[in-house]
Amino acid sequence: MNASRRAYPLANLFANPGWWLALAVVLILPLTLNSGTLATEVLVYALAVLGCNLLLGYTGLLSFGQGIFFGMGSYTLGILMTRAGLGLPLSVLLALVAGALTAALVGWFAIRQRGTYFVMLTLAFAQMFYFLAYSLPDWTGGDNGLLNIPRPPLSLFGMTLMPLDSPWRFYTLVAVCFLVVFWLLQRVTASVFGRTLLAIRENETRASAVGYDTRRFKLAAFALSGAVTGLAGAFHALMTGIAPLSNIEYHTSEMILVMTVIGGTGNLFASVLGAAFYVLMSDWLSTLWPRWLLLLGLLLIGVSLFMHKGLWGLLQRGWTALRRGRAAAAAPEGAPEGER
Amino acid sequence: MSSNRSGSSAAMPPAASTAPLGGAANADAKGDMNAPPLLDARGVVKRYGKFTALGGVDLRVRAGTVHSVIGPNGAGKTTLFHTLTGTVPITAGTIQFAGHDVTHEPDNVRVRRGIARSFQVTSLFANLDVRENLRLAAQGAHPTGAFDMWHAPGRRREIAELADAILQRLGLTARAGTAAGALSHGQQRRLEVGMALAARPRAIFLDEPTSGMGVDDLDGMKTLIRGLAADHTVLLIEHNMNIVMDISDTVTVMQQGRVLVEGTPAAIRDDDRVRAAYLGNMITGGRA
Amino acid sequence: MNVYLLQVVNGVGVGMLYFLLAVGLSIIFGLLRFVNFAHGAFYLLGAYFCYQAVAWGLNFWLALLLVPLVVALLAWLAERTLLRRVYDRPHEFHILITVGVALVLQEVVILIWGPLGDNVATPAALQGVVMWGGFIYPKYRLFVIAFTAVFALLLWWLLEGTRLGSAVRAGSESAEMVSLLGINVFRVFGLVFALGAGTAALAGALAAPIRGVDPFMGLEALGVAFVIVVVGGMGSFSGALVGGLLIGIVQSVMSTLWPEGARLMIYVAMAAVLLLRPHGLLGRG
Repeated sequence: MNASRRAYPLANLFANPGWWLALAVVLILPLTLNSGTLATEVLVYALAVLGCNLLLGYTGLLSFGQGIFFGMGSYTLGILMTRAGLGLPLSVLLALVAGALTAALVGWFAIRQRGTYFVMLTLAFAQMFYFLAYSLPDWTGGDNGLLNIPRPPLSLFGMTLMPLDSPWRFYTLVAVCFLVVFWLLQRVTASVFGRTLLAIRENETRASAVGYDTRRFKLAAFALSGAVTGLAGAFHALMTGIAPLSNIEYHTSEMILVMTVIGGTGNLFASVLGAAFYVLMSDWLSTLWPRWLLLLGLLLIGVSLFMHKGLWGLLQRGWTALRRGRAAAAAPEGAPEGER
Repeated sequence: MSSNRSGSSAAMPPAASTAPLGGAANADAKGDMNAPPLLDARGVVKRYGKFTALGGVDLRVRAGTVHSVIGPNGAGKTTLFHTLTGTVPITAGTIQFAGHDVTHEPDNVRVRRGIARSFQVTSLFANLDVRENLRLAAQGAHPTGAFDMWHAPGRRREIAELADAILQRLGLTARAGTAAGALSHGQQRRLEVGMALAARPRAIFLDEPTSGMGVDDLDGMKTLIRGLAADHTVLLIEHNMNIVMDISDTVTVMQQGRVLVEGTPAAIRDDDRVRAAYLGNMITGGRA
Repeated sequence: MNVYLLQVVNGVGVGMLYFLLAVGLSIIFGLLRFVNFAHGAFYLLGAYFCYQAVAWGLNFWLALLLVPLVVALLAWLAERTLLRRVYDRPHEFHILITVGVALVLQEVVILIWGPLGDNVATPAALQGVVMWGGFIYPKYRLFVIAFTAVFALLLWWLLEGTRLGSAVRAGSESAEMVSLLGINVFRVFGLVFALGAGTAALAGALAAPIRGVDPFMGLEALGVAFVIVVVGGMGSFSGALVGGLLIGIVQSVMSTLWPEGARLMIYVAMAAVLLLRPHGLLGRG
């Protein structure tokens, strides 16, 4: 055991590597991709998936409503920047708040039920918000969405920090925010609060019996999830310049959920994996074959049957198999040989 | 799932109560017969649709006593506990605890009043380790602290110390890092009691703590319960008459959702109605 | 006055189709205890298979009989090979796998028939209108109402009067008990799943001449099916009927008053039922 530890000093990294792996992804994307927009898209959806995972993986809540918060983030930013003329940082912040508030509202209702009824409630709300957005074109632009969302240079307190006109420059901003949010979520999930959420997921009756008001915790989880997802929606609007109806559509909720489960619900970095996989695959495959969603469907079936810890679980299994293989190879040769 | 039957009772420490584990008001001395009861439940009714599980139960428990509730299956004992601890909402009646009207308070609120319970059917955080189970239970008595989204658990030393003390008292220190679901049945039943202890309650409700336990584990549990009586008010549902008669101050006998008779263990043992209800109908739980 | 009567009759027709669509989903939930996100895809297949069959010159009546059977067979195979394996997993996997199946089926439809959709001709015998006093109404729509009513009776008889039906109803109370009684529960599950898919396919085939076919009709149908199942009560046959008719009529009437609101409103109704009376109007929970 010691031998393999020394041979693989990085083995400990797998105990809590999350943020470093996220950093690695942020650095690798510009090196491997040509399109800054595509790289940004990966991080935008990674944020959305993190929000979904907070509910599913950590609180045990399967929400079909993530598209609501994503869309609200986009719309809020769009409205504030095109109609109210607010600056970029403030609009992003308020979009985040809008996401949190909407999630608190939806959550407050949805939490009143559990299990399948809860899932159905989130679905009903998702559809409600969609049709609401559709029928209020003065606010949302209806079918067309909000157009011509600007991307002014980043300025704080009057000081211009950085122009955001090129895709890679914008990527830098999103990457920094992403890493900060990832780090914050790591703290939250490792905190007393995070552990309480896990307990609620594990056995809600027991959690209530030992003194926790499970509704309040679930509501807080919803608000957090909404904030992160709203932020993602805001960045999406800035990235594309539009706040389309599709962001608040059921399909978006479904895809975010799919990315979450594909990545794996065991930890935060798995969400980055899930989003990266989906966004990159869809970009790559859709140029090869317009019916690539067929492959996604097959993948989903495969994940449900064989890979229920998602891509992260697959990597974990591979890593463990690798270590076991090496350790087995090292063992018969005795201690001195094993120390390398 | 490892079975640990031979080792479990040997690992039990003596039942001396240690200071950090005392109930919040462990000065509740029994003996003052004129003091108002700690728990005063009147006319408790619980209906599930058309089925009446409890048809008007009165229960008064004096502080510092061990009060057992016995009766045939289906008598409504667990349902009574559910209403007293807030696990299920009450249909009618009132419940006063330590001078507060807790009738409509949900279970998590009653924990802060000083009521904690164990379950008849083991209900732990199966995939979390034993120590984490106890930490959660200990923190549950101070739930606002659990909204801390910044600090990892362990910052509040009294919670960590409490969890460790309970681990020791339960004889589970060696298994602190094991998943609760991987414990033997007897160890899980002990952990159930430990979860209630962790809230440092005034009144501890134990629902058939020895259920399903083998002979080896039984002695350990008996010692544990006896140890509890020193610094808590204990409400006990038990089928094991050995334990009931040995440690109870008062025994309430229930049948078909009502109280049949109540008194000291000796009085109950000699009561004809109880004999008939129990011995005659232990399986069917019907009328005497 | 006549306009509203027209909308109500339309609503009954739509409602009966909704019932057909939802009853399978409701029964599947009642027995298998999971929500089938592939249900809309069976509706989709029913519509497209019928469309294709008629294009090949097959008799409409024959198509109406064969298409649901074919789809039911496909569904039965899917249950046996795929779905059976995830019953014991947490419900996100049930949802995930059926979403996967739905996606695959939708893409296959687009592969074969293209992304645009088409109109479907009403069968010759049912073209034209019926005139009754001052009331004029398309023949085909009346046929749909009559046909689904008869089918509903058949289905009701199947569930209440046959051994399979009893097994299904008992199984939704306790699958364990049923298997202890010597009935092969898994075979019942498979048959129920196939039955549910078959009724959805029938709904699709009947709906095609009214609304045409397009690859995304499955998604739309799924949403509506969920609403009806929730409002009527999960697992309830009569709930699907009452819920379907209620939603169908209200939606039809609303579509003349406030079109966008009609779609919004059915989901508000769904949320309201889930919050206030989750077992639905007629469900037992």
